[in-house]
Amino acid sequence: MRPLYLVLGAFFGFVLSRSGAADYNYIQGMFLFERFQLYGIMGAAVVITAPGLWLIQRRGRTALGAPVQVELKPMTRGTVVGSVLFGVGWSIAGMCPGPILVNIGEGKIYALAALAGALAGAGLFGALYARLQRPFDLPVLKAASTGK
Amino acid sequence: MTLILNGLQPIHWTLAGAGIAAVTLALLFGANRRLGISTGLEDMCSLVLPQPYFHRGAIRSGREWRLPFLAGLVLGGFLSAVLSGGWTPTWSLGMFDSVIGLGPVGKLVWMFAGGLFIGFGTRLANGCTSGHGIFGLANFELPSLVAAVSFMAGGILTTQLIYRVVFH
Repeated sequence: MRPLYLVLGAFFGFVLSRSGAADYNYIQGMFLFERFQLYGIMGAAVVITAPGLWLIQRRGRTALGAPVQVELKPMTRGTVVGSVLFGVGWSIAGMCPGPILVNIGEGKIYALAALAGALAGAGLFGALYARLQRPFDLPVLKAASTGK
Repeated sequence: MTLILNGLQPIHWTLAGAGIAAVTLALLFGANRRLGISTGLEDMCSLVLPQPYFHRGAIRSGREWRLPFLAGLVLGGFLSAVLSGGWTPTWSLGMFDSVIGLGPVGKLVWMFAGGLFIGFGTRLANGCTSGHGIFGLANFELPSLVAAVSFMAGGILTTQLIYRVVFH
């Protein structure tokens, strides 16, 4: 299975690279309302994916017949606060998590610093999770061997 | 407008959207995997950090697909460069260079700061542009609509502040 994920990731990364989704100018262009490209990309992706997701879930099984189980994401106070913070970072860096990795592959040296920051931020979040859990209404961490 | 990468013209947004949709649907239909990238940051943390949060079930079961997928993203960027005029390391950052103009050290600090917001924010929100913006919206999930509106708002306000107020 692992080669499949590498290949899908490479295709996804190639598309992100060639479409402008990993390009600093195009991201700023989106947030300045000067460039339609990123709105088009995200809109087209959602509009094309939606009926496909519906069909797959209606069928209820993967291509090989295994059950399809989509885990839904809960709404928490973190949904809004975290997303706003993410948006701030997306603007500053001109990239979101996938494009950080794509840009490293492309040779943009500064993207390594963005990755380092993202790992530090994620690490900080995990280290603080127990303290953030109640204020942000986050899912309770169960034992390490089960669920979330 | 050309891309920073090798001065390329970008591909049409319909093609890019279709490509992203194809990957999303292939992951679910082929392997029962929900597209998501920011959880991969936790997968990477789990390789070196001991906190139970990084060793919960969702990480232990998902790491086996997300790490190769994320490695693929790097490979995809690399191939994109190689196949379009060559791969060269660069500090080039488009309009940032002409308007804000920090040198390499400044850029590293700036990007690290941006990364902190991205890493902490996406995990607090439990998703990013892929998990919420593509999959969540396409699956009509309300938390993802809330997330998408929020991260767009955060991005718009910040860019407007930087490029229309502070540096204009």
